[in-house]
Parts: sequence; structure tokens; C-alpha cells
Amino acid sequence: MKKLVLLLIGIFMISSVYALGVTPGRTTIDFEPGLQKNIGLEVINSGAKDISIILSAQGELAEYITLSSETIFIPANQSKTVNYNINFPESLEPGLRTGKVFIMEIPDSSELGSSAVLATLAVVSQLYVNVLYPGKFATSDMIIYNADEDGEATFVFPVVSHGEFDLTSVRANVDIYNSLNEKVDSFNTNSIEVPSGEKKEIIYKWKADVPIGNYRAAATVIYDDGKINLEKTFSVGAKELELQEINVNDFSLGEIVKLEMLIENKWSEIINDAHIETRIKNEAGDVVSSFDSASYDIESLSKQVFVSYWDTAGVKVGNYDADVSIYYDDKSSKKSLEFQVEENELTIIGLGYVISDSGGESNNLIIILVVVIVLLVLINLLWFFLLRKKLKK
Amino acid sequence: MAPSVSMEGKNNNLLKIDLVLIIGSLATLVFLVGYVNPLVIAPLDNYETSERDILFSIEKAENLIIDDNIDFTTPDEYKIKDGLKISLEPGKYYWKVTGILNSNVKILTIKSEVNLELRKIDDENYGVVNAGNVQLNVDIYNGTEMIDNVRLKVDEEMESQGVKFIGEMG
Repeated sequence: MKKLVLLLIGIFMISSVYALGVTPGRTTIDFEPGLQKNIGLEVINSGAKDISIILSAQGELAEYITLSSETIFIPANQSKTVNYNINFPESLEPGLRTGKVFIMEIPDSSELGSSAVLATLAVVSQLYVNVLYPGKFATSDMIIYNADEDGEATFVFPVVSHGEFDLTSVRANVDIYNSLNEKVDSFNTNSIEVPSGEKKEIIYKWKADVPIGNYRAAATVIYDDGKINLEKTFSVGAKELELQEINVNDFSLGEIVKLEMLIENKWSEIINDAHIETRIKNEAGDVVSSFDSASYDIESLSKQVFVSYWDTAGVKVGNYDADVSIYYDDKSSKKSLEFQVEENELTIIGLGYVISDSGGESNNLIIILVVVIVLLVLINLLWFFLLRKKLKK
Repeated sequence: MAPSVSMEGKNNNLLKIDLVLIIGSLATLVFLVGYVNPLVIAPLDNYETSERDILFSIEKAENLIIDDNIDFTTPDEYKIKDGLKISLEPGKYYWKVTGILNSNVKILTIKSEVNLELRKIDDENYGVVNAGNVQLNVDIYNGTEMIDNVRLKVDEEMESQGVKFIGEMG
């Protein structure tokens, strides 16, 4: 009886779920005078009920959008492709012009008074049109991939040419300031060309020969006819905890095992309330065992042992994948290891050295390739310069 | 005449061996190059999907290199292994594999999907889930009046008393 009630509740819940979707959620095209184009959308009804939808065009480009059909019926758990045509004028205002195809479910009046969902869903597929500016015009951003102390920070400047002419020379000048606002370094990037309507990237690897801490980069991207000022803060030395070692003493399968995990704080400040979660998985990837450490505070640039206890009752001898995740602040860092479990020994693979020689197959192929080519060359040399001459005599 | 015929026959035999050797060597080289060429089983070139998790099935290669820029100026690099699954944001990607030989550059497109799921919680409240693959701006209406605008992350759910929900890429 209880099962029947649960089943009925389940069926009711499934039938009372509505869903409406559209893909792509955004279509981006470049403007061409007088362009006519057909764009397809897939409207998805992943709910458990048949629906009818109505389509309409909205936004500043609405007048250039023609919908092929305005009302469409979509059975439950099916999708339908709908098309719309765009018919652009000879000119549009430069910049990003937008329009929307609005897809709305038509409420079913037969459900009034019933317990089914009565709210209405609508989704929007956006149309983005890039209209080139007269002359030369660019936009840019600065992305900084942080560096370790004495490592390299990578500066990336994606440059988009929005003008009708190509940009022949785009480069960036960058000044780096420390937290006391003192300039610690400057550099100039190389120069690149960016064709009209395209996106290219300027890359610069900066040697972070500075102490660990936060820095500010002030950049000027200079292109043929203009300048773009950009500013970003970044860190040298990540606010990062790194798992360095796992020590296990007196392992005995079936018992509770103590794992001592050595963690290094690579940041210049204390990190509070860090803890480690370990998930052991079987071949199918299912978690067969999981355990957490207590929470610890780690002083800046120092190491701390985190203790975890693993109850190995029911665990069989074999090799297991293990995800060891360190949680701190709003971050986490995960290391994938292999636990080789035997009756009286636990071997942990993947810390400090390569888990397995993953290049082995490739190395074997190279050896085979070289051996066969050398053999071919020898056979040919032997034949053409020795045997052939002998036989000819 | 006899020695000349015999010499001609001998030369013919030598030429035949030359031919066999040259064709055999070339065939072996072609086979070898084919053998060490990366074998990309999935995804196909120009593959389009709205799934964010992409399974790469590749043999005879070591690394997968993927970037949203055809120049591969800031690529992500993955070691190829069985069941390599990579989660990607919607967008157009260029990718190639490297090993003894490199593959050509292939294109992969993750299409954005806007999808709202709605369920009735009680007489007044609805649960609204972002079931698509992009962050959504959801306008909530009660009748013709817009009462709220909520930003929903992928798979995030909210409760609302509205009766009309409009989802759009944020």
C-alpha cells in the first residue's frame, strides 16, 4: 500500500513538472548590408506534458526578423526545429545590435481548477549582430594567469577589431605596481596585426622576479588610431595548499587506518579552517569509501600534517582511484591518486613522482618506427649497392 | 644469342626485385605513418552539441590541446587517457592531439541552451530550475507586473510565487 502511494506521488510529481528550452540561447553574426539569412532554433519540451508555444520577435532588430510560424505544438519529451529569417537593411548603427526571439508556452485553459502547474514559462533566444565601426576601432581585455614566486605570469590581451579596416599594429605597455603602489617592473609586448572583424591575442610571459603577494598591472593597449587603458590586480604565489606526502604506518586491511597528510601553505598569509576530504572509488567510478580530516590552520609558507582515519572494513585487496581534495576559504584543490591496497600494505601512487609511465606506448611506437625505417634503409642499401651489383656480374 | 637472352632475363629479374623492394618499402612507410597517426574516434570534427561534458576517445596520441583561439595562444592541455571527459563552457573550440604525429585542427561547438524547469511546490509556490547549460536571467511576473529578476546558475533552483517566468542568457 505504502509503495503504491509513493508510486502515485511520483507519477503526480513527474506530471506536474514543466520544462521549456531553446538552443542556441544566443546566435551571433556579423552585419552585412542587405544580408538575408535563415537561422534555425531547436525548441525543447522536456516536460511530461504536451505544450503549444507562440513565437514573437522583440528588441531593436525585431523589424528585421520574420518568423516562419508563430504557433507550434510540441508533444511531451520532444523538440522541434523552428526557423526565422533575417532581412537586414543597407546600414545599421555601429556596435552590438540585439534582437530576441521570444518563445512562450500557451497556457492550457483545460487545466483551470486542477492541481497541475498553471504558471507559464517562456524562454528567449538572443540574436547578436556585430556592426563594424567606420575606420579602425578595437576593444581589449587583460587576463593574467598568476605566477609562482620566481615563475612566470602570463599576460593575455584578447584584441577584437570592430572597425571596417584591419589593425596593422597592436601592442601593449604594462607597468606593475606592488601593494605599496611602487612600480616594480614594466614591459612592452610584441606587436600583432588584427584583421577587421577578427579576434587575436597578444601574449606576454612576465618573469615574476618579485616577492609573493598581490600586485596591480596597469596596461595601455596601443593600436593604429587609439589607446585602451586596462587595469587588473593579480597574485604572485597562489593562495594555495598543496598535498605533498601521505604517510601510513602499520597498515592492516580491515582495521581503521591513520593517514598523515602533509600539506604546504604556499601563500604569504595564514590559511584558516582547511580540511581534507578523501573519496576512494572502484573501477566503475563509484565511491566505495570516504573520510574527512579535522580542520586545521596553516601558518604562511609552512607545512602542517592533517590526520584522517580510514575504516577499511569491507575493503578488498586491489587498486583504487582516490580523490584527495583540500578545502579552504572558498577554494578547493584536488589530487587524483591511486591506492594500492594489500593485506598489510597500502601504497599510494601519484605523489611526487609519475603515477605510471604514460609515455610508454608512445615510446614503443617510436622504437618500432625507427627500427623498421632503419631495416628498410639497410635492406635497400644492401640490395642496391651490394647484392644487385654482385648478381649483375 | 643465348648469353644475351640470359643477360636480358637476369636484368629483368633484377628489375623485378628493384620494383618489389621499392614498392614494398613505400608501402611499409605508408603503413607505418598510418599506424602512428593519431586515431580520433570521438568527437567528430565540427561536432555540435549542447552537452557541456565532452568525452574524448583518442588512440595513438599523448596530449589533447584545446583553445577558443585557432592560433592556440592560450591552450588547455590534457593528458590523453581512457574515458577522458572535459567540461566546457558553451562556445566554439579548436582542438588537436599530439603524439608521434599531430592531428589536424578540429572544431567543436558547445551550443548554449536556455532551459527552464518548473514544478508546483504548493498552492502558492513554484520551484524554478535552470536546466540549461548557461547562466540565466529570469524575469518573474505576477499577472502583467514584473515582480522580480533573478540570476540562476546552471542547475540552480529557486522558489517563487510568480506565475510567469521568462528565462534568457545572462
